[in-house]
Amino acid sequence: MKGYRKYFGAKLIWFGVTLVAAFMLNFILPRLMPGDPVAVITQRVTQGMTSQTGVQKVYEEYANLFGTTKPMHEQFILYMGNMLKGDLGTSFSQYPRPVSDIIRSSVWWTVSLQFPAIIVGWLLGNLLGALAAYLKKGWDKVLMPVSIFVSNLPAFGSAIILLVIFGVQLSLLPTSGGYGFDLIPNFSFRFIWSVFVHYQLPFWSIVLISIGGQAIGMRSMAIYELNADYVKYARFLGIKDRKIIGYVFRNAMLPQITGLALSIGTMVGGALVAETIFSYPGLGSTIFSAVMGQDYPLISATTLIITLMVLFATFAIEILYGFIDPRIKAAQTEQ
Amino acid sequence: MKKSIFRVLSVLIAVVMFAGALAACKPAEVDPAEVAAALPREETLYYAGLQWGSVVGWNPYSSNNNNALAVAQGANARIVMFETPYMYNMIDGKQYPLLADGDYTWNDAMTELTFTLKDAAKWSDGTKVTAEDVAYTFDTHIKYETSTGVGVADYVEDVVAVDEKTVTVKAKLNDAGQAVNPLVVSAYVSDNYVIQKAWTETLEERVAGDAEAFKADPGDDAIGSGPYMPFYDDDTKVVLIRNDKYWGKDKSMWGMLPAPKYLAHTIYADNNAGFLALKAGEVDISQQFNSNVQDLWLVDNLPISTYLDDAPYGLTASLPTAYFNLKSFGLDNVAVRKAIAMAVDYDTIIANAMTNQSPTFNQVPRSVMNPTDGEQALYDHAAVADLQWAGNDVEGANKLLDDAGIVDTDGDGYRDIDGTKLSYNAVCPNGWSDWQAAIEIVAAAGEKIGIEITTYFPEWSVYQTVFTDGNQEEYDIFMVWSNGAGPTNPWGRVRQLMSSDFAGTTGNWNGNWGGYVNPRIDEIIAEIPQTTDQAKLVELYTEATEIYLTDVPSFTLMYRPDQFYTVNESVWTDFPAATDGRNIPPMNLADGYGVAGLYYLTLVGD
Repeated sequence: MKGYRKYFGAKLIWFGVTLVAAFMLNFILPRLMPGDPVAVITQRVTQGMTSQTGVQKVYEEYANLFGTTKPMHEQFILYMGNMLKGDLGTSFSQYPRPVSDIIRSSVWWTVSLQFPAIIVGWLLGNLLGALAAYLKKGWDKVLMPVSIFVSNLPAFGSAIILLVIFGVQLSLLPTSGGYGFDLIPNFSFRFIWSVFVHYQLPFWSIVLISIGGQAIGMRSMAIYELNADYVKYARFLGIKDRKIIGYVFRNAMLPQITGLALSIGTMVGGALVAETIFSYPGLGSTIFSAVMGQDYPLISATTLIITLMVLFATFAIEILYGFIDPRIKAAQTEQ
Repeated sequence: MKKSIFRVLSVLIAVVMFAGALAACKPAEVDPAEVAAALPREETLYYAGLQWGSVVGWNPYSSNNNNALAVAQGANARIVMFETPYMYNMIDGKQYPLLADGDYTWNDAMTELTFTLKDAAKWSDGTKVTAEDVAYTFDTHIKYETSTGVGVADYVEDVVAVDEKTVTVKAKLNDAGQAVNPLVVSAYVSDNYVIQKAWTETLEERVAGDAEAFKADPGDDAIGSGPYMPFYDDDTKVVLIRNDKYWGKDKSMWGMLPAPKYLAHTIYADNNAGFLALKAGEVDISQQFNSNVQDLWLVDNLPISTYLDDAPYGLTASLPTAYFNLKSFGLDNVAVRKAIAMAVDYDTIIANAMTNQSPTFNQVPRSVMNPTDGEQALYDHAAVADLQWAGNDVEGANKLLDDAGIVDTDGDGYRDIDGTKLSYNAVCPNGWSDWQAAIEIVAAAGEKIGIEITTYFPEWSVYQTVFTDGNQEEYDIFMVWSNGAGPTNPWGRVRQLMSSDFAGTTGNWNGNWGGYVNPRIDEIIAEIPQTTDQAKLVELYTEATEIYLTDVPSFTLMYRPDQFYTVNESVWTDFPAATDGRNIPPMNLADGYGVAGLYYLTLVGD
């Protein structure tokens, strides 16, 4: 138990150090981008303005408002202070909207698109991979090339193919939006059905590309495990195939679980491609427009959330591994 | 065991899916009895290309509402929720009364502009629109230093309520006792909304007089006088609903209500999504650049049309222009500038980059004017005919350079001045595909006349910080838009193209980005706003055009509409078109006099 506590403590310290480093980078990196966010806003606000002094005044007002004229360290102290109070700041590009409000309204779209897609893609991929390893022959010969092909399709490629086939050519599914263009959200079957229908293309565009990679990984792991000594020994003992498959699946699963945790950790980063191509609301397109508009507070906040999620997911996995796989705990505590 | 995990997971997924998607949708904040589960298609007019990203607010004093459907002040102010005293019509350049009753009048000294308000004009809460509202709006803009306030403070001294219905706009005077700029004063009455005094006071009270909070307030309770009011908005759409008590149904104005009950704008991620929706009939009016727009009806046989049946399909009003950085080596030489401008193949730019949605320079010869009839009538075409070039004149450009003694002295294929090769970059923002195509053609022209021009496409956020710095030496030839149509144009455009006031300034969003200086043009720019005599005005504009075409501080690459305008007539029809004789500009049925189009719309089949 003492060894485990030491393992846990070490992990926690590293977790803290990474968090601090990530926190600072989240603040500094967006501000190192070339360009001036205040100028972007000034341009938008002063379009058609005749007065030159007026334009200058507008620029100065926003520069003061956003504090971009202050030295970087002062900005950082302000940022830290606000963060400690739980204040993510005010967005530049969508001023005066608070960053927390922007994230709140888009994060649910992203989570409800990404989480099920990641899980379904992961389950289907692993199932297919395990089947390929176990059944071999024809199944494997078809599945492998298809998986390799699909997993190497760029995300936008598969999304556009789905859009063109099901949205444009067959007109089976809508091409854009989170729900019907002619609907107002309300609790009715028509609306829920519309949400469901609009969900399909972005959802499957994410699932499709994740299946392949998962299947390939699972297949290799399962083949490796199938040839392991314990499987041969189990067969020698006359243990039923189903039972053996159970062992194999559990062992082959370990690295796949890490992959799953990381995917879940990064999921709030949004499915930028799916969101953009299908005009699906969500954090991906929010982050993208924040970067294009040099919206420092919004970039920092979203990247911070992603960092936290990833850190938390990896931390949880490491801790869980300690429980699941004693070999890892042993290796860690020996150091 | 495994089965139950799967079962739990699938339930979890289903719950996350629906709970998430539903949680993201904001329930409509209106009387539940009125909530339509759906917007009836034949009562809703759908837009694309105006609103990008979610709506931030409804506060007409704020410049950060990102609320394209409801709040957009300026030369062609969007007047569906808030209204201006006058509506600008870009076709004839005139201002038509909206809240105002009849035309405004100037005093003899042209220092005061007076108009009265219509008796019928009312706010959506039923109270009258008064002169006091107009005056208080101005005072508030000045007091809280809104962008409107700081924009007009140099030109408008005061707005005074003479009586309940009469308003006088007093111009700021120069040392000679003249109005600093009567053009800006007259533009004030069609550029800016009248905002309700009572609501303004409520807002002031709410923010306790704090200027920053005043401008940052989302103004969800704002009261307008226009035919539409907010109905619903979220991350995917914004919807306005008609105010059936709208005062404009009075005979003194439109005499009826606008046809659509709802104006809706789906928020698309990009042009392509909006384009697909237009094709699918989910969009009635598209303010997007749709390349090869004619294919929609010629090839796809869709009931889609534009303002003009044939190229250039729309009414072009602005002049995307390439500026020469006069600090760049060799570009201070007018022969080099003019040679580059002459050699550019504009027909290819117009055919490829604009897919013919711009008149050619043979159809509308270059000047400082946009192609509208109003502006074209403002200069003497014959007087500058010798100076105009239609482009692709490689021979002429080469001769010009040879005659100026600018030749290739070292045999590297490029011309030199004092032994230094003429080599430039041509720049525009990345992702602005039509501009990028145009810039490529400018670079190709350089190659033909022995001047090295390479293209460079930085991101917009970087681009705009560089070109607005009057001391920058990074960009040699770079593209910027121009003023479109409005009451202060073409004066505003002449100033934008050439005023020395802007040369070498930093944070320059106003114009003359190449740093051109010419005292005579400054005199002309000062004189035009004070001139009322039409013949004198034509003389001044002709001289300005002569100077522009002689000195070539910049050159226009194409003409471009103020607003793109493509309509799908599968649900609504009778959209404004050039041939309907109604004099309604193709301005989204929402901007300036374009709003008149809302009253002519009919349903297909009616």
